[in-house]
Amino acid sequence: MNEHPVQLVVEDDLERSRLTVFFRLLLAIPHFVWAFLWGIAVFFAAIANWVATLATGKPPESLHRFMCKFIRYLSHLNAYLWLVANPYPGFVGEEGDYPVDIKLPPPTEQDRLKTLVRIIFAIPALFLSAALGGAGSFRIPYRGRYGTYSGGGGGALAGVCAFLGWFAILARGRMPKGLRDAGAYSVGYTAQMLAYVLLVTDRYPNADPTAMLATVERPPQHEVYLVGDAHDLRHSRVLVFFRLPLLIPHLIWFALWSVAAVVVGILNWFATLFTGTPARPFHRFLSAYVRYTLHVYAFGYLVANPFPGFVGEEGRYPIDVVLPERRRQSRWVTGFRLILAIPAFAVNAALGGALSIAAILTWFVALATGAAPWGLRNLSAYALRYAAQLNAYLFLLTEQYPHASPLEGADEPQQTFDEAT
Amino acid sequence: MRLAVSAALAAALAAGWAVAAVLLWHSSVPALHLAHLDPGDYFSAQDLHDAASYSRGARWLWVLTTIAQLGALAVFARFGVRWARESAAGRMGTGMLLGMLGFALVWAVQLPFTVLAVWWARHSGLSTESYLTVTLGNWLALGGKFTFLCLALAIVMGLAGKVGDWWWLPAAPCFVGLALLFSFVTPYLLGGQRLDSPQLRAATVRLERIEHVQHVPVKVVTGMNEPNAVATGLGPSRRVFLWDAIIEPPFTQREVEVVIAHELGHLAHNHIWRSVGWYALFAFPGAFLIAAGTRRRGGMRVPEAVPFSLLVLVALNLVASPLQNVITRHMEAEADWSALRATHDTKAARMLFERFVPATLSQPDPPTWDYVLLENHPTIMQRLAMVQAYAASDAQSP
Repeated sequence: MNEHPVQLVVEDDLERSRLTVFFRLLLAIPHFVWAFLWGIAVFFAAIANWVATLATGKPPESLHRFMCKFIRYLSHLNAYLWLVANPYPGFVGEEGDYPVDIKLPPPTEQDRLKTLVRIIFAIPALFLSAALGGAGSFRIPYRGRYGTYSGGGGGALAGVCAFLGWFAILARGRMPKGLRDAGAYSVGYTAQMLAYVLLVTDRYPNADPTAMLATVERPPQHEVYLVGDAHDLRHSRVLVFFRLPLLIPHLIWFALWSVAAVVVGILNWFATLFTGTPARPFHRFLSAYVRYTLHVYAFGYLVANPFPGFVGEEGRYPIDVVLPERRRQSRWVTGFRLILAIPAFAVNAALGGALSIAAILTWFVALATGAAPWGLRNLSAYALRYAAQLNAYLFLLTEQYPHASPLEGADEPQQTFDEAT
Repeated sequence: MRLAVSAALAAALAAGWAVAAVLLWHSSVPALHLAHLDPGDYFSAQDLHDAASYSRGARWLWVLTTIAQLGALAVFARFGVRWARESAAGRMGTGMLLGMLGFALVWAVQLPFTVLAVWWARHSGLSTESYLTVTLGNWLALGGKFTFLCLALAIVMGLAGKVGDWWWLPAAPCFVGLALLFSFVTPYLLGGQRLDSPQLRAATVRLERIEHVQHVPVKVVTGMNEPNAVATGLGPSRRVFLWDAIIEPPFTQREVEVVIAHELGHLAHNHIWRSVGWYALFAFPGAFLIAAGTRRRGGMRVPEAVPFSLLVLVALNLVASPLQNVITRHMEAEADWSALRATHDTKAARMLFERFVPATLSQPDPPTWDYVLLENHPTIMQRLAMVQAYAASDAQSP
């Protein structure tokens, strides 16, 4: 696949000034005003750009440059707000003067028909962008038989990471790499989405985290990681169409198993607290549960195609998780495990929003094409990996904290479960 | 010799089945010679025309839906095994997937007829439900169907893995147990709201005393278009549920009392227990026939037999439906009789049954094949004849 014309460049060293981080929102107020004013201008310029592109088949040079500057500026501002970068950003969106930057393409010929319906095509990307880089949630009010309700979503991964990062930076003066990478990914995706909507490029935003963070150093390999053939994107249309009803027996079984897992988890917690090591039968039971959870999630969220088994068997499912052997764990970390896991819960919830949207979009694409989109598949795999790491951490299968980076560990995971173990 | 033993065993089993059936068939309704009534004496020509017109359309839709269902299952029985490659769930999980996909395909081929049925009901003024609600609701209801199917297949395939082709023998009691469990929990799943009317609550207490049924809560299920009611539950879970359409005008308080008495009559004569008993009588031969039918495909131990087993199951249900309808009609008649004895209100009963025709567009005297295959209640004319017979017997009694 060709490289996306909108590229994220990250040259950040994770060091942060505690003072500017503490007052970050207040310091950004002038930028909020400026971004608002610039946004109004961009709105009218975008309409002019759309008409011009429809007429000539190519965006005018001046409008293209204007849009590029706006996208770059907004990316700098997002990076600053979400604590992905440290320095105070400039107001003009200059290229190359900020540690988190966006490379944008020159104006090119664009298909008129695609340009005409660009805003409709962009809706899925807008939803995903809201889940990744949005600051809050969207709500849709509707009137029902018994009153008015509202529903909606939007996880805002970047917002959660920034919130957690704020505390970490004040304590340590450094942004945790996992949170920074997740924030950078959100900034990059939002930039690609904007570039698409504002006709800077006709390439659809690519949700693949690995491609987005190609210039970023990968984190060390986590003890809990996914294995399987990532390139197997095939989906049976029948299974896709009936995914929700097919999932219901699994959800019932999953709920029953979860009750047992919580009980066993508590027993395991006591055992580990007293002996320093998880009890062998508990470890085995909980490993199977964590593996089963992954299989069901992978099936439910359309990351994998086949109908999963009910027992969490190793190596049976195309996407599987490698879990560590039972070993000694710090009693302190064990004792406070639930409290320590709270930040990871927050990241997991934010990723869950993105995962749900990715699943809905994948449903439509897979139904039409019989295959999952590569980018969405990888975004979903990232969310599932994090959920598996959190589960393993919660159930004392590992002492290693979940890593929020969208990138895989530095050592390439093996292709099959047998090779991995 | 072996043949003789088998024949003797089969005869003994058949005799046992017949004895059980006779015991379950027992009814409190006296031998009545119901008069053949002329619908024209009870209903206007317009009502009869509307009911006949709607029923004719509904019957055709049933025929087409059934043909589509059998056709889809026949195709699935032939080619469905190909879907096994979409499973990573082992023997039983793959069987479950194939079972679910079979019913999913049935849903898909029936979808146009479902939409047509909604259109027909809306066109006839019987429903206000939107097409989207019905379609989406049906799609989600598949999840519930799938859950029961998975449970059934887990039992069957698990037992087939242990005892081979004899799985039907332990499986049938398991299914009977499940039917008991389902009968017990259904009232809790239906929920319902408290009956508001103090007059109806007082009438319920009075009718409970007359019919010797104590402490049965009467609940109202809201949001229903059809005037209907059901009695369900076992022991402490027994409940009567009234669809809200039947407690609203044009139905009067006296008519609703007849409805409540009818439902209490079901409970008074242990119809829920007897339904489970009948189910047990059908479960053993039904399971045996499925086991026999799938033996050539490797038996229910292997997932490859599942698609064909679905076809056998649905075909058996269709074949057994006339007999099942005879049984349910018999119980409904007993509940009607019980209601008449409890209320002595033949006028209200007659008005109630007469109102059913314009309210539900049921044909008061449907064609024979419809009566045999589809009618699980006595026809409206049979019910009116029973009211007439009761009125005559009531008048003669001291």
